[in-house]
Amino acid sequence: MEGRGKILMERYEMGRLLGKGTFGKVHYARNLESNSSVAIKMMDKDRVLKVGLSEQIRREITTMRMVAHKNIVELHEVMATRNKIYFVMEYAKGGELFDKIEKSGKLTEATAHKYFQQLISAVDYCHSRGVYHRDLKPENLLLDEDGNLKVSDFGLSALSGSKGQDGLLHTTCGTPAYVAPEVISKTGYDGAKSDIWSCGVVLFVLVAGYLPFQGPNLMEMYRKIQHGDFRCPSWFSHKLKKLLYKILDPNPSRRISIQKIKEATWFRKGPEGPRIVKEKITCENATTNAAPTLPVRRKKIAHDDVKPLAVTNLNAFEIISFSSGFDLSGLFIEKECRKEARFTSDKPASAIISKIEDVAKMLNLRVRKKDNGVFKIQGRKEGRNGVLQFDTEIFEITPLHHLVEMKQTSGDALEYQKLFEEHIRPALKDIVWAWHGDDQQQKE
Amino acid sequence: MGCVSSKQFKRAEEYEDSSTLAKETTFSVNEVEALRVLYKKISYSIFKDGLIHKEEFQLALFRNSNKKNLFADRIFDLFDLKRNGVIEFGEFVRSLNIFHPDTPMAEKIAFAFRLYDLRGTGFIKHEELKEMVLAILNESELILSDDAVEQIVDQTFKQADTNNDGKIDYEEWKAFASKNPGLLKNMTLPYLKDITMVFPSFVLNSGASDDEL
Repeated sequence: MEGRGKILMERYEMGRLLGKGTFGKVHYARNLESNSSVAIKMMDKDRVLKVGLSEQIRREITTMRMVAHKNIVELHEVMATRNKIYFVMEYAKGGELFDKIEKSGKLTEATAHKYFQQLISAVDYCHSRGVYHRDLKPENLLLDEDGNLKVSDFGLSALSGSKGQDGLLHTTCGTPAYVAPEVISKTGYDGAKSDIWSCGVVLFVLVAGYLPFQGPNLMEMYRKIQHGDFRCPSWFSHKLKKLLYKILDPNPSRRISIQKIKEATWFRKGPEGPRIVKEKITCENATTNAAPTLPVRRKKIAHDDVKPLAVTNLNAFEIISFSSGFDLSGLFIEKECRKEARFTSDKPASAIISKIEDVAKMLNLRVRKKDNGVFKIQGRKEGRNGVLQFDTEIFEITPLHHLVEMKQTSGDALEYQKLFEEHIRPALKDIVWAWHGDDQQQKE
Repeated sequence: MGCVSSKQFKRAEEYEDSSTLAKETTFSVNEVEALRVLYKKISYSIFKDGLIHKEEFQLALFRNSNKKNLFADRIFDLFDLKRNGVIEFGEFVRSLNIFHPDTPMAEKIAFAFRLYDLRGTGFIKHEELKEMVLAILNESELILSDDAVEQIVDQTFKQADTNNDGKIDYEEWKAFASKNPGLLKNMTLPYLKDITMVFPSFVLNSGASDDEL
């Protein structure tokens, strides 16, 4: 096999072929240093340049990097030689989601529900950044080793166009099975709405085991898509059917939005199986019979957390190291994208701590203290990319002068920016002497 | 004078070879090429001569070409290995290499020492440390009494200046920095691992050979 076993850029050992696309092949590879698995997409530069995609390729790399989400295949690195371009990506060990259906026929509603939630989470995240997939289809839905969904080729609209191995559920040679009617009729379309349509087709296939729009020929399939002409099999729950009819509405302006999908009962709760009912009952019992013990227990846990917080003492060099003049990150990222912020305070540590706790309480955030003087502050709900979390650390310069650093550790960066700028920052103003890097230039 | 600048211009255009720089540093050929995209962007931002001047460096760091900062000045001076007032491409790559997450701690410790040895005497003196503390306090708009500042500096000297001669020599610095890794955290830039994706236009004119595959 071509390329197999060879070392690429002294970094990756090439392995088996995973798939073929219009512009090149995707190979399995192993990072020689970390021993981790990756997928490498190889493209011929000639072919990319010939079709005038050079600007596109630059844009798409930037986009792919921007959409860092737990349910989206991550781009690790880009490489190039005189003749080739390589995308080094996260390797989804579980393979294609649809292979699962081809093997077992169809999924239970509960299983499909999990994948659909993950799919919508990824799509919602991208849409919030103005990125549309435009080509959601089975080949682009992969699974990692824990069985979580990984969407591939987000932001790669011009470069994907892959020719997958034809199968029942695969897009056979340009079959528009997953494509929204307004895309087929080429009337110009809203990327968000057409992605939602494709998600609906995927959901249908997961639970039914076959495509919603089929016909003896392409024309017939087109006709059915244009009219939204499909029927749910009898085993679909009522709530699922209700949701699907709202998603697979051929009129994009009437079609349900992502926000509304997230509010739909089936999306939030999934199919109501006996398991969930049972959980509800035990939960009710707990609140009625064991009510008095519950708050006590909680209090105890909370009490364990309240250790006197050791404030980190800074030596002179550590104080110096906080200078913005040392922070070369400005060369690589925009200021707005920074995940950390620092301020100085002329209040005693106890005042800073209680203020931070008050602000967290007001914003309904959970506060945990760690031994090394770090507050872990967490949201209580799933955000666009998992639960928001940030660390707050208080450093002592003198007993009356402190430096406080807040750093996002997980969750959606945009959600954090909003929370920080609109709520945290204004709420802390009583204890802030000056925010770092906050001078005239920021107002420019 | 015109002659000098046109000569500089010419030399700058002939960037040092990517594979040479890749061999000398932690960066791959492609990463050096990506850094070249960044270098070009900075070095054509004001003077357009393909060399990074101090104003251009300040503009890139602070989005402001006039912002004076003692530490940014120190970084610029150390990056300017040839001490000719500009950072050339080879200097840029070799210097940034020190900030790479995979670069050994010993190199970072050595670089930090040169950074803090403001007058290049081979020692970090009490007054140099005080000068730097005052600069960062000023930058943070914190006003501390002279006693408080002295106390911070004395406290640190007590820990670092083990032979009590009023100055920190390189051996003392190594011992102190190894014990306090927190003070070297600004010597590592995680972003350097992602540069191929931050400056992706290098892919179109990469000169890396296809021999490997």
